[in-house]
Amino acid sequence: MNFWDKMLNIDRRWIFLAIGVVTIIPFLIGIGMPITTTTEVEDIFDFVNELGPENAIFVAFDFAPGTQAECMPMAVGVVRHAFHNDVPVFMTAYFPLSHGMMMAGFDYVTNPSIDGYYQVVEFAEWAHLREAGITTKAELVTEWENAGNVLPDNAANWVFEGRDYALLGYAPLFHLVILGMTSSIANQYPEDANGNALIEMPMLNEHKSLREVDLALTTAGSSACMSWITYAREKIGTPIAFGVTAVMATDYYPYIQSGQIIGQMGGLRGAAEYEVLMVENDVTESTGKAFRGMDVQSADHLLIILLIIMGNIAYFAGGAHKRHQMKGRG
Amino acid sequence: MYETIGLWVAAFFTLAIYSFLYKENPIYRLAEHLVVGISAGYGIAITWEITLEPRLIQPLLAGDNWVLLIPALLGLLYITRFIPSIAWLSRYPIAFLMGTGMGIGFPLTMKASVLRQLEAAMAPVYASGMPWFEVLGNLVLIFGTLAALIYFFFSKPHKGLFFGTGSKIGIWVIMLGFGATFGFTVMGRISLLIGRVQFLLGDWLHLIE
Repeated sequence: MNFWDKMLNIDRRWIFLAIGVVTIIPFLIGIGMPITTTTEVEDIFDFVNELGPENAIFVAFDFAPGTQAECMPMAVGVVRHAFHNDVPVFMTAYFPLSHGMMMAGFDYVTNPSIDGYYQVVEFAEWAHLREAGITTKAELVTEWENAGNVLPDNAANWVFEGRDYALLGYAPLFHLVILGMTSSIANQYPEDANGNALIEMPMLNEHKSLREVDLALTTAGSSACMSWITYAREKIGTPIAFGVTAVMATDYYPYIQSGQIIGQMGGLRGAAEYEVLMVENDVTESTGKAFRGMDVQSADHLLIILLIIMGNIAYFAGGAHKRHQMKGRG
Repeated sequence: MYETIGLWVAAFFTLAIYSFLYKENPIYRLAEHLVVGISAGYGIAITWEITLEPRLIQPLLAGDNWVLLIPALLGLLYITRFIPSIAWLSRYPIAFLMGTGMGIGFPLTMKASVLRQLEAAMAPVYASGMPWFEVLGNLVLIFGTLAALIYFFFSKPHKGLFFGTGSKIGIWVIMLGFGATFGFTVMGRISLLIGRVQFLLGDWLHLIE
């Protein structure tokens, strides 16, 4: 067995080890490679950036733990962006496992151990303000702080449950739930995931159905995202945006061209682009997990390209292609 | 305390799954079986807590919404599959779901996935003020779509200028699509590894932020 044959028959565990090493090192030394943004992500960012407290969006956590590395940063990024602009966010989940993803994503945005987090005010805590008819964000914050509540130093702002967000969660046969929400959100979700009645929520009174919602962003690791186009976009014209895994990204580019979705974040790269846009527009002070992961992604891609080139050189220089041809003739 | 235990359990099972890269072993199999079992169990618990209990059991116990007995009965008919003598009853809920699913979904799916795409492919190649690269993109779109469709037309032999050359170009177009998909797939798989390594180095070992 000559050198080239040895290369072609290398134990694949050496390749796994090389990928492992190349994945760990950039995390430890932090390269910080620049990331340019693409139109399809900029379009989503600009759309959300134009919205304000009078609007509302849906962020659908339509993925399971297996694809959370790609989908979670996208959903978290858009929720943060919406909270920054005081845009109310309805959060849903397509599968039972996505329900846990939704709770984990919300926890990440509102976790006090992370700088720039959003301090939650639970639904029951501000019941007296609702009863007094105070439901606009600016008035709520003023009254809440006048009552002696102090925003922690590392928090970005308050978020009031029922005014700034509603954790709707999972419901079975979710494509039919989307269809039902085109008429009434409260009919499909009488209560949110925390047991609060939706009809008592100010954000629901201002946005009773999907017709009164300005955007639905679905972060998906499966074709679940298509349900939003089929049952929301095509039925009532709700603007839709996709955040999908890289594997699925090429399947859904035609929907951008046809104008059925306003934009798409594809894989970790798409999420990193959104994080870059948020920093550039002063929505957040620093980039997040997706951006940090892109250094590693670039290093791994370089290694894979190198391995493909070396494999091809070994295949042709070692004469393996001739032997395979002869075998075929025999 | 519970959070720390959770982190260690998650780290252990992450490493257990990755141990398959060296070779298959009992620890890997344990982790694999647990993933399947816990996912199913979690799904059942969530379905009970979020759907069955608040939306079926409680309203029925409260004595109103008796109409809920109809979907409940239909749902229970699924279980008859386990009793061979009355297994045929399970066809009723399946037929109901198939019928309503097709009736509701078919027109909208046709519109979303076929008609809108056809409409988008019929865009004008050129309009005044359109930049040259957009015109080129439109041409690639139209000829690429036609060539790929010719490749999948099997009623005529792929010979001659139209079918022969068209199908060859079609193969190239399809291969370019596969190449893009493969590139994205590599990126996706690496992203999943990155997610786990971020967890191990960050959340578990605190070596990175």
